[in-house]
Amino acid sequence: MSGPTKSVRFREAIRMGMVEEMERDDRVYIVGEEVGHYQGAYKVTEGMLEKFGPKRVIDAPITESGFTGISIGAAMVGLRPIVEYMTWNFSAVAFDQILNNAAKMRQMSGGQLHVPIVFRAPNASAKQVGSQHSHAMEHFYAHVPGLKVVAPATCADAKGLMKTAIRDDDPVLYMESETLYNLKGDVPEDPEFTVPFGKASVARQGGDVTIVSWSRMVHVSLQAAEELAKEGLDVEVIDLRSLRPLDEEALVANVSKTHRAVVAYEGWPYGGVGAEVVDRIQRLAFDELDAPIERVTTLDYPMPYNAKLEQHVIPSAERVIEAVKRVAYRSA
Amino acid sequence: MTDHERHLGLYRQMQLIRRFEEEAARAYAQGKIGGFLHLYIGQEAIAVGAVAALSASDYVLTTYRDHGLALARGMSPRTAMSELFGKATGCSQGLGGSMHFFDVEHNMLGGYGIVGGHLPIAAGTAFASKYRGDGRVSVVFFGEGAASIGDCHEAMALSALWKLPVIFVCENNQYAMGTPLTRTLANDDVTARAAGYGMASDRFVCENVHQVMEHFDLAIKRARELSEPTLMEIRTYRHRGHSMSDPGKYRTAEEVEEHKRRDPLVVSRTALEKAGLGDKLTELDASVETEVQDAIKFADDSPEPGPELLAATTYKGAFAR
Amino acid sequence: MAKIIDMPKLSPTMEEGQISAWHKKEGDAIGVDELLAEVETDKATMEFRSFDKGTLLKILAPAGSVVKLGQPVAIVGAAGEDVSALAAAGGGAAATQAGAAAATTPAPPSAAGPAGPPPGALAPVTTAGALPAAEGGRVRASPYVRKLARERGLTLGGVAGTGPHGRIVARDLEGLAPAVSAASAAAAPAAQDEAPEVRPLSMMRKTIAKRLTESKQTVPHFYLTIDVDAEALHTLRERINDDLATSVADDKDAPKVSFNDLVLKAVAIALTRVPAANAQFTPDAILYHRRVDLSVAVAVDDGLVTPVVRGADKKSVLAIAREVRELAGRARQKKLKPEEMAGGTFSVSNLGMFGIDEFSAVINPPEGAILAVGQVRREPVVRGDAVVPGRKLAMTLSCDHRVIDGAVGATFLKALRGLLEHPGQILVL
Repeated sequence: MSGPTKSVRFREAIRMGMVEEMERDDRVYIVGEEVGHYQGAYKVTEGMLEKFGPKRVIDAPITESGFTGISIGAAMVGLRPIVEYMTWNFSAVAFDQILNNAAKMRQMSGGQLHVPIVFRAPNASAKQVGSQHSHAMEHFYAHVPGLKVVAPATCADAKGLMKTAIRDDDPVLYMESETLYNLKGDVPEDPEFTVPFGKASVARQGGDVTIVSWSRMVHVSLQAAEELAKEGLDVEVIDLRSLRPLDEEALVANVSKTHRAVVAYEGWPYGGVGAEVVDRIQRLAFDELDAPIERVTTLDYPMPYNAKLEQHVIPSAERVIEAVKRVAYRSA
Repeated sequence: MTDHERHLGLYRQMQLIRRFEEEAARAYAQGKIGGFLHLYIGQEAIAVGAVAALSASDYVLTTYRDHGLALARGMSPRTAMSELFGKATGCSQGLGGSMHFFDVEHNMLGGYGIVGGHLPIAAGTAFASKYRGDGRVSVVFFGEGAASIGDCHEAMALSALWKLPVIFVCENNQYAMGTPLTRTLANDDVTARAAGYGMASDRFVCENVHQVMEHFDLAIKRARELSEPTLMEIRTYRHRGHSMSDPGKYRTAEEVEEHKRRDPLVVSRTALEKAGLGDKLTELDASVETEVQDAIKFADDSPEPGPELLAATTYKGAFAR
Repeated sequence: MAKIIDMPKLSPTMEEGQISAWHKKEGDAIGVDELLAEVETDKATMEFRSFDKGTLLKILAPAGSVVKLGQPVAIVGAAGEDVSALAAAGGGAAATQAGAAAATTPAPPSAAGPAGPPPGALAPVTTAGALPAAEGGRVRASPYVRKLARERGLTLGGVAGTGPHGRIVARDLEGLAPAVSAASAAAAPAAQDEAPEVRPLSMMRKTIAKRLTESKQTVPHFYLTIDVDAEALHTLRERINDDLATSVADDKDAPKVSFNDLVLKAVAIALTRVPAANAQFTPDAILYHRRVDLSVAVAVDDGLVTPVVRGADKKSVLAIAREVRELAGRARQKKLKPEEMAGGTFSVSNLGMFGIDEFSAVINPPEGAILAVGQVRREPVVRGDAVVPGRKLAMTLSCDHRVIDGAVGATFLKALRGLLEHPGQILVL
């Protein structure tokens, strides 16, 4: 990072990205539930209505499929909408619009139309919000050709990936985390600062084992790495940042260094982005593996409400530590 | 242009759609067309009448029964037939097929395969027009089978709330695939719900193409001048099955024959014959025939798209793997 | 103009249809979209409507016929047209009676679901071409270990795996020396007058080429040379061999020690004194060996091998002498086992018997150093104030700079010189 920086919270970093792009391009607008007068369900859009007015900061009734489809239609004819869902869980009722219209438009029209749109919302677990409000939705969407999926873990990436997402000509699904909104960090003030898609970053250097992660779980993995350092294991933590496109070059280079990998993320163990990461590593770096790759995931149940059970189901630093020890052949 | 000249023009469009689809059905039977093929035969007057009332810059969207609207809008039969044949010269380069006709040049923004899923899209193109103040109107066609799905409701509720310049046109052909109206809607007046959304409405039985134009004139004026939506329901009838694989056993031969007698295309033809334009009609029919046969030959001779097209029509730039 | 009407495709998946009934008979007038027949498809009974206007002149596939898509079912044309030619061409074609078709219909293709393998599809596994397996079954090793083994010429058969289920993991390879198999040279093809003799690479040559290239390219070598006063060593060796001769009845059965045996023992002792020179590089750590296992270079027919004298620091000079001779003998007969050539910590190469005064050697990975020993030379030396006939022995240490720095190498050589110039110690330590 070069140039002046500003210390902000994660939610402000997202907002900085959106505000800068709305100032730069009047085709960009934001629509969603409570984004305007209420100032955002999680205050991500705070102050934006005052700044841009109701034409560009649009409160929608609870009609996810409706305002998703409307925004896709608007994008097809030249606008560049940002669609906020109160949480990604609610995008499930708009899934058809994202799957069948946003993702397919370019091909169905033989390349005549495309959909430059950003969908964004907090994702995965929060605190005791129960089974219907704790989904890690990136796994559903990253499956779909035609969509791009990103999930920042730091404030700088939150701003830089948002700007790249808005400037992208294809649908981008931007995954936030309610538990990261208060995170503080330095972000560049340069309005041309962007973070490219498909490039992972190294959150921590180490030589013994690689942990691959994204979003909130990067921070859990870093915590696990600190604990493991005390026991003499030197752990590298990779922050994927972008889930589709996926930085397979970084995965291969890293595993060629450590020969051992753990993928730590929120979401169920059956399939998903973590399984995709494992496939790429075993396929592209088979000869580098000294141990089977392990995944640390949300346990294979709907999320329970009870606080202790919830912590049992969510992937924890302890479970990451155990997995790292197993792949390092240190008995856990 | 005299009224007769205009009427001859509308007749020619309807006849072109009719003959195009009859030949498409033959080509389907010959195995040149795959997948689904939903014919618009019997309903041509609606697309032709609506398009005649619209400006070229207005947006139109429809269901998977989309050949008629595309041709009415100006897509060439060659381009349309090639798309049915899955050829690179088709409107969507052979990637869309019968259900996904798109023609951006003529502001025909698509045929859609998910029932009701395109209604919010049309509200969205209307939203963009209002956002930019460009004065365009969006028209979206759907069947009465779509009237109960969630997206239909959300699109209308938001269009009324946000005062979007869009016209929702329910082409009520009385069968949702094989299910008659009596078994899909408790209130068979689809426009009754317009009051609930706070939206204007219009409802009529399609008799001829002029009548369709007149009704559209009003709704278009409402959208363009007041930026307000309209829900329109037009009773019509499709002569053929839902798709080519529909045996059509849910209706009697007598019912179909009765509707064929009231076919708006026949109505136009009879009126024009009465006006002494029989020779002109013969001439038009021959030129339509030539155009359709040329389209078949062109589609037959066209190359198929190659796999290099796939990545380029999935993402812009590098493929996001 | 009469034409043949084919079985139409009436559903997206239809491949054939059975005419269940004709709704027109020969001679009937037909119009576009008029019902001709009903056809039973894979989906349903479908209406078969006419695409043409005219007269149904001939039915080629009567009710009950099963007709493939695109095969003729009827002829239409103008009333009264002669269709005999067309009928001859298209009649009696693909239609089969339903009953017969049903009786001979084969089982549906495999799309129906996962069936067992077709009989005879699985041939018995033959041993020819199978991968070499360890005694008692396949070797369990991580993919990375297999790659390392390929690169280093290691044989995994004898390696004890410390991973789950006995899996050999990377750490288990630490300290293993290459297994250089003693393959015989392939017969050279008849040489042309001026063409070079073409001798295909033996496995041993391939291994030597690969490993030494890799060593010289990836291991940063540096060299330290000393010239030892070998007079005392010479005298000691004469004395030892004279004394050994008295222990047996016949002189020719007497055991003997060579200069090299004495050097090996001295090297072993020096390594215990300077353990920093008994080291190995790994990407993450330096391994300082607690054992002194000396690889001894032995020339064989088409190359060289390095059998290992294990625990050389704990063996007597005579024991070392006997072991080296025994190993070298079996090496020349190509009878060494791979594990006898694996796991050395330091190498000694001696070309004194070929009259070489001094040379430098290529390190034998993953070891950290190799000592190249020349011949004992007669040379005038200064002793006191006089020049007298003396003996000298030059030795060059090649060090892997990643683990052994100059000072460590020099310290080791200083210890070695002390032992060789005062060689009585070698016998008692």
